[in-house]
Amino acid sequence: MPGSMMQPDLGQIGALQGARAAAMARWQSNGWPDHRAESWRFTRLSAIDKMELRPAGDAGAMSVARPASLPANAVVLTFHNGIMDTAGLDALPAGVTASALDGNEAALDDLAGLVPAGHPISNLSVAAMTGGLCLDIVGHIAAPIILLFGGDDNAVSTHPVVLVKLASGARAVIGEWHQAAVGLSAPLVAIDVAADAALDYAKVQLDSHSTTHLAATGLRLGAGARFDGFQLSVGGKLARLETHVVLTGEDADCTLSAIYLGRNSQHHDITSNMAHNQGHCHSSQIIRGVLDDSARGVFQGKVYVAPDAQKTDGNQMSRALLLSRKAEANTKPELEIYADDVLCAHGATVGELDETQLFYLTSRGIRPEAARAMLIDAFLQDAIDGIGNADLAAMLRPVVDQWMTAGGNR
Amino acid sequence: MAPLLEIRDLHASVGDKPILKGINLTINHGEIHAIMGPNGSGKSTMSYVLAGREGYEVTGGDIVMNGESLLEMEADERARAGMFLAFQYPVELPGVGGMGFLRAAVNARRLEAGEAEIDQLEFVKMVRAKATGLGINDDMLKRAVNVGFSGGEKKRYEILQMALLEPALSVLDETDSGLDVDALKIVSDGVNMLRDAQRSMLVITHYQRLLNHIVPDFVHILADGKIRRSGGKELALEVEESGYAGIDDAA
Repeated sequence: MPGSMMQPDLGQIGALQGARAAAMARWQSNGWPDHRAESWRFTRLSAIDKMELRPAGDAGAMSVARPASLPANAVVLTFHNGIMDTAGLDALPAGVTASALDGNEAALDDLAGLVPAGHPISNLSVAAMTGGLCLDIVGHIAAPIILLFGGDDNAVSTHPVVLVKLASGARAVIGEWHQAAVGLSAPLVAIDVAADAALDYAKVQLDSHSTTHLAATGLRLGAGARFDGFQLSVGGKLARLETHVVLTGEDADCTLSAIYLGRNSQHHDITSNMAHNQGHCHSSQIIRGVLDDSARGVFQGKVYVAPDAQKTDGNQMSRALLLSRKAEANTKPELEIYADDVLCAHGATVGELDETQLFYLTSRGIRPEAARAMLIDAFLQDAIDGIGNADLAAMLRPVVDQWMTAGGNR
Repeated sequence: MAPLLEIRDLHASVGDKPILKGINLTINHGEIHAIMGPNGSGKSTMSYVLAGREGYEVTGGDIVMNGESLLEMEADERARAGMFLAFQYPVELPGVGGMGFLRAAVNARRLEAGEAEIDQLEFVKMVRAKATGLGINDDMLKRAVNVGFSGGEKKRYEILQMALLEPALSVLDETDSGLDVDALKIVSDGVNMLRDAQRSMLVITHYQRLLNHIVPDFVHILADGKIRRSGGKELALEVEESGYAGIDDAA
């Protein structure tokens, strides 16, 4: 398809230079993945070209309601329609340095080396960047930093681009909270966790049910680095959260778990690519999905182990629970292992609520809807229990509870 | 006083297969009835039909508890109306905390009766008091429901639930299966403590030995979906001596 026909319409973007010009050129030649692209087999994007979108040009009224469950001591950086409210930067704690990405060629180069190569958002959101933020973090940062994304214009696409760099030995807690009502929400995030640094991370995707949410996240862990990450995808009409991780030093430890909750005709896609480029690293992914009505869920998880990455311990377990006969889950776990001394376990199941368990609960007088909620809750529990940071766990929990309550009457 | 439970010419099928073929049984308040029968006679089907499990279809007759037919009631409604089934194979619920489960069950019953939900502290005290007598420790109470419990522990946990819910009618489905002598005694003592003039029980068992501990008022022999003989507790001893072989002939 010629670039001029593609959505969003980038016609209003002026001349670009450097990395952004290169991204624009890649976007114009590659565009959206077509129907032959294997990694997009279960998630079709053809509906985007039927929309009329343009990248947000101004933030509009900069008011995004602070979610009640954010940690009390969180420092919140707000994006409205993809554009950052710079007023929030004043509150950043010592040890965190914020700078603009646009025009910073060195930072854009770093970003390009981290984000998923070949992913449409890695090109589009750099070219159409609505807000670009670079956070350099040194030392131990106690207060969680929450990036809060709101928006209110269904005719726009939003392209916030964030580069986070944790220096050696740094520690931080970062969250992304998305609650935008825009046409296309396309955040691009790159995170570099240097040697012996540690990052607790959580993402909540609660965009409006008319929003298409396409997120690309790239993550690099150095030797001895730890990343404890969790993604909760609940909102959106169609949402794909794709994360590529590269473990580049020994003893790196990466947790990348996720829960997706779908209802009506929602489509949730969790895609990950975990590359063990060095040995003696550990990765863990617990994925749980609950799908009601005619919702659809996709989990694609690839674990790659390089030829010399001995003593790799990588595991991945995906389970989907279908609450309706019309709901559907597709899972595609993939192991690509070139080392011979590794411990890699993976599994994927799709099932329904257990009738015997339901009968046991109802035979005690518990109403069927309450019994179902108890079993769904139990199904999600071990994924939630795996969240190491109590503040982030407390931030996610009410979102899950609210989803359950909203469906309690069916 | 009207009987607690009346089973009238009850026919039931699982899938297309008829299992119960005309059961008649009346249980008055405070009575303990035992149903004995060989494997495949319909004992477990009867317990599930009474409790209202899906897939166990009543094709004829009626089950009436306290003057009200149970047939149109779902399992949870029957439970709140006073029915309790102690499972032959209690179900493991990974991730479902034991205390939360017990509390949900107790509160469901209380709300039905128009009472307020039970106070958390009061509830913990009540559970501990009843658990101690059944040899159930705090560690078991904290675990997920039935997860990691031994066979005997699962059966004791069933009796704990029965003690907390105070049902009008308890159906004990092969509660003795998988129990050694000591566990059998603990479970039976627990059941006997719950005997009173208002509560009735239907004890389903293959073997007579349970009935040495939980002594029934009446014994019924079930074979091929029908009650073939009924009598007092001595009937159980007769079965113990001569087996089920002669029962069909006698009918």
